[in-house]
Amino acid sequence: MQPEDLLLFAADAARLMLESGGETYRAEETAMNIITSQGGVEAECFATSTGLMLSFTGEDGKVHAVVRRVKRREMNLEKASRIHTMVSGLQTDRIDILEATRELDVIERLRERPFALRMGASAVGAAFFTLLFGGKPADAFAAAAIGATLYLLIRGFQRLKLPEFLTSLAGGGYAAIASLGIQALIAPINTDMTIIGVIMLLVPGVAITNAIRDIIAGDLVAGIARGVDAFITAAAISAGAGGAFAIWKLLEFGGIR
Amino acid sequence: MSPESLSMVDWLKGPAFAAIATSAFSLLFGLHSLDILLASGGAAVGWAIFLVVPHAGSPAFAVFLAALAAGLYSEIIGWLRFRPATVYAIAAILPLVPGGGMYYTMLSTLEGNSAKTVELVMTTLMTAFAIAAGLAIANAVGRMNYLAYSHWLMKGNRKP
Repeated sequence: MQPEDLLLFAADAARLMLESGGETYRAEETAMNIITSQGGVEAECFATSTGLMLSFTGEDGKVHAVVRRVKRREMNLEKASRIHTMVSGLQTDRIDILEATRELDVIERLRERPFALRMGASAVGAAFFTLLFGGKPADAFAAAAIGATLYLLIRGFQRLKLPEFLTSLAGGGYAAIASLGIQALIAPINTDMTIIGVIMLLVPGVAITNAIRDIIAGDLVAGIARGVDAFITAAAISAGAGGAFAIWKLLEFGGIR
Repeated sequence: MSPESLSMVDWLKGPAFAAIATSAFSLLFGLHSLDILLASGGAAVGWAIFLVVPHAGSPAFAVFLAALAAGLYSEIIGWLRFRPATVYAIAAILPLVPGGGMYYTMLSTLEGNSAKTVELVMTTLMTAFAIAAGLAIANAVGRMNYLAYSHWLMKGNRKP
């Protein structure tokens, strides 16, 4: 394989790792391990959550380098896991580089689960987190309904390529308004419990934890970037839900309801 | 995550709810059949530890031990399944992550109660830090095990 092809292949594998929610150091190791397994030397990779740089010295003695930008990010642990398996296959000579290239193509095109199934999972997840955090069955039913529709809303916003900030803002607002609406019009539920369960679909709890993990591991730049990302998302959800509460108060005092 | 609202029944219900909620989320995270079951097992282990450890003052220490248990569980499963442990760990810590903390922080901000807000922000960060520390230690143990295993293989033992 030509050094250029190897470089692009390694960079693509690392980029896909970052896009599927792999840790920063794992993306760096992915790229470096692919290159060293194919005879490249002095492989160096620097990744953050928004991009990566990769360079190595080929067998011809020339230095090759590439930069990749990461824009789309969504958690897909299956992809991350299969990239890991592919790389360790390369390292132990279980597969050769051509097979690895084909495998990466397959991984990149892995389909998501059917939409209805994912909506159902959102409903079940929101309902059981509500129960777990101390909600009553009525709260859980409300959370299931709001969770499923919230997932619809999130996907709609993503389909329209709206920024993540707006998605979180609207998601937080919708969770609050829907809970308050159900409480006022349908059944007396504990809105706090319902909202906590539902916004588990939005909150960057895992992102905050991963940011601190990155910082502990020594990836300071990546960790801070992830932390800021999580903070902005949390602020957007809060602003959305807070705005919804404020509007609801206005409606109550205005006697419109 | 309010420990004062726990009753005896929650000791049985909690881990089950944690497992079901986590299995739904790990489906959203793209995991498949057996991995979903294994990941939700990790969540049940973590939540059970979280309930068992007494919450003296702040829940951070209980969260740390729970994350450590979930992390070690993930390392073992990942090793057995030839997959990175993170795949299971990310799902298994879901019930512990401070989602509710961030929500209550927002509420107290709206009420204008800045003392309570600062306290809640601290608790949220402490929780996140406790989870990260627990997972980091579990990861270190996993790496040591991996190194020992590689060494054992290199001494001429065959793979099982």
